[in-house]
Amino acid sequence: MRQNKAAVRRTLQSYGTVLALLAIVLAFSAIRPGSFCTLTNFINITRQISLLVVISLGATVVMSVGEFDLSVGEMASLGGVMAAQMAVAGAPLALCFTVPILASAAVGLINGFVVARFQALSFITTLGMSTVLSGVVYRLSGGATVFENIPDGFSALGTAKLGRVPLLSILMAAFVLLFWFLMRHTPAGRKFYAIGGGEEAARIAGIRVKKYKILTFVLCAVMACVTGMLIASRVGSANTTAGDGYFLKSYAAVFIGCTASRRGVPNVLGTLLGAAILGILANGLTMLQMPTYMQDIITGAIIVLSVVAQRLGREEGQ
Amino acid sequence: MLLETRHISKSFGGVQALKDVNLGLEAGEVRGLVGENGAGKSTLIKLLTGVYHLREGTVLWDGKAVSLTSPAESQALGIHAIHQDRTLIPTFDGIENAYLGLDYPTRHGKIDWKAMAARVQSVTESLGLELDLRKTAAALPPPQRTCLEIVRARMRECRLLILDEPTAALTDREAERLFSVVQTLKKNGTAILYVTHRLDEIFRLTDRVTVLRNGAVVDTVETGSVDRDRLITLMTDSVPVRAASRRRTFGGVLLAARNVASRDGSVHCGELYARSGEILGLFGLGGSGRTELLECVYGCRPMSVGTVELNGAVQTKPTPASSLQNGMALICEDRRGKALIGDLDVRDNILLTSIDRFAVGGVLRRKAEDAAVRAQIDALQIKLADMRQRIAELSGGNQQKAVFARAMMTAPRVFLCDEPTQAVDVLTRNEIHRLLRLKADEGCAVVFVSSDLSELLEVADTVQVMRRGSAAQRLINENLTAQQVLSCCYET
Repeated sequence: MRQNKAAVRRTLQSYGTVLALLAIVLAFSAIRPGSFCTLTNFINITRQISLLVVISLGATVVMSVGEFDLSVGEMASLGGVMAAQMAVAGAPLALCFTVPILASAAVGLINGFVVARFQALSFITTLGMSTVLSGVVYRLSGGATVFENIPDGFSALGTAKLGRVPLLSILMAAFVLLFWFLMRHTPAGRKFYAIGGGEEAARIAGIRVKKYKILTFVLCAVMACVTGMLIASRVGSANTTAGDGYFLKSYAAVFIGCTASRRGVPNVLGTLLGAAILGILANGLTMLQMPTYMQDIITGAIIVLSVVAQRLGREEGQ
Repeated sequence: MLLETRHISKSFGGVQALKDVNLGLEAGEVRGLVGENGAGKSTLIKLLTGVYHLREGTVLWDGKAVSLTSPAESQALGIHAIHQDRTLIPTFDGIENAYLGLDYPTRHGKIDWKAMAARVQSVTESLGLELDLRKTAAALPPPQRTCLEIVRARMRECRLLILDEPTAALTDREAERLFSVVQTLKKNGTAILYVTHRLDEIFRLTDRVTVLRNGAVVDTVETGSVDRDRLITLMTDSVPVRAASRRRTFGGVLLAARNVASRDGSVHCGELYARSGEILGLFGLGGSGRTELLECVYGCRPMSVGTVELNGAVQTKPTPASSLQNGMALICEDRRGKALIGDLDVRDNILLTSIDRFAVGGVLRRKAEDAAVRAQIDALQIKLADMRQRIAELSGGNQQKAVFARAMMTAPRVFLCDEPTQAVDVLTRNEIHRLLRLKADEGCAVVFVSSDLSELLEVADTVQVMRRGSAAQRLINENLTAQQVLSCCYET
């Protein structure tokens, strides 16, 4: 009997997050079979979560070394505004997308350097950076949304489709694959987890902790920037606060993702799962015409629960 | 009699740390407690202060049996200890630190800061101390912190004060002031248990000395009736060192550290060299800087001056990465999670230093990794269910073997071993010794740090002694006795 209980508990811990996703899907399918449980809607959901997934991948990497980057939201806004303004000014599209990426890499470098070199709290460091970035966004845009004279080519990335599948969904899949490979099959990924598991032990084992920490911040900032540009491309305009809503949700996705791993560490597939749970909830609740504030309450509660679940999973392990 | 212990014993997982200890302390007595590292001094202190639960034996306090099951109970009786690892809150000022754990005085429901300051000030003055109580503990120099801890002990009724290596961080002048505080306390009728490696302090301060060896009381003697040599003889096992086949001829120097000083001051003038085929034992008492020197040499503790020559490459700022690159590995006891990452599995822990070596074109070759890990696990006979299980689930001995396995992965020519057999059973301990000898015979150099002197003499070809952060004598281990080594550790 007791063994049964333990087995049930272990199963819940390993697959609980997946089961939660399935339960949500089944519930909505039961309530709205005609509109929710259709291929069109599922394809739609993959597009809806694509931006969240892309930004969360960066957050996953930073969290794997045990740090936070709270400037991702502002970084996304900045990336969108920069790219849109360059497009409006008539710069070649390739340049419109590469210049912001280089800028974001520089921001990530600064974040990472300050955190790694001075052992500053990443929480506060990146919070400061996010304030700086919001100032830069305001300086660039004057506070106004960039939307006039945006060339069609700029919007193509966010709106194009291959058959029935949006390009955004395909991009998301490609990034997920790339980051999954990075975290699982490359030396860098292994070192990230080693640093996150024990910085001192990793250092003594000859891992260049500073270098790899900085690398995670660069990756995170770049992914935030990419997300911001995709948002601008998708809606055909660049809002100065476009990235704000993504910051909290991205960390929520990572935390939910941690519960899907046996050791409770950030991982790429878990993050995808986390983003899917958040996205499907939003999609389904909207379909049920749930008011926005109720959606917020439900989503927030799920985030808190996932953090608790993650801690519980860890304690069990130790 | 103020304190009397009757037949107290303590064991940890089959290891007997204290055996049948009887100890009697009078009020106003200064009692010295000496013994080699691992003789049981800390265990005794932790039992008296309630950190460890006393299960075997009884403790009488004022002739009445008492239970010591928590620090709070022990402090309520008036037993206070000042440890090597300080227990002040760095960001609090002297007054608040002195009041830690006590109820703050209040007036009209508000904390009465004035009354607090006055009380702490009067206690400080009664001890003849000058302390800036407004400064935070972090801003005080180490000796003043020790004084502050004494003030804190005196804030409550303190009838027995245990001082554990109180002068380890002090200069001679600062130590003098501490000695006068000890005298003041003694006059006030406080009993003092004075634990130290520094025998000159024992002779200066104490009335009687209790000598511990291997967890048992060897003798308690009037301090005036013994001399230094007699005390060392009591402390060290007189059993002769086992004769092992030792090497007398060595190859070239593989590792040489010259004039090493650490930035934090724990090492002033560290020197060591180890030759191919040699096992060099590095020995010193607690606080002598032996581990710190090893960490400087490896590159995980910042050096201010000095050079490290490793396999011909000279470095002034070694890093763990460069050391590994040049063929040196550090094997340390897993204190503070320095050696192992508990959350990672056995496999990833063993691969930690060689992640890049198994990557082809930036991609990890899992099969090659698995094979290499498997080979080490088999060679060292690490007992585990699955190489993917978390390393924290392995036994202490097997964890230590995993640390060795990791070192072997990089095929080093120089092994730095810091307490590699701590928390390891006898069988594994012998295996590790055999392994190190095997490596030396293959032409590697091994530097071996152990606080267990008899172990060191069993293993080492040569012994380098360290004293107060600097290199002292270098001895050839030819019928070397513990007493000879120890007398190098104590300044004359």
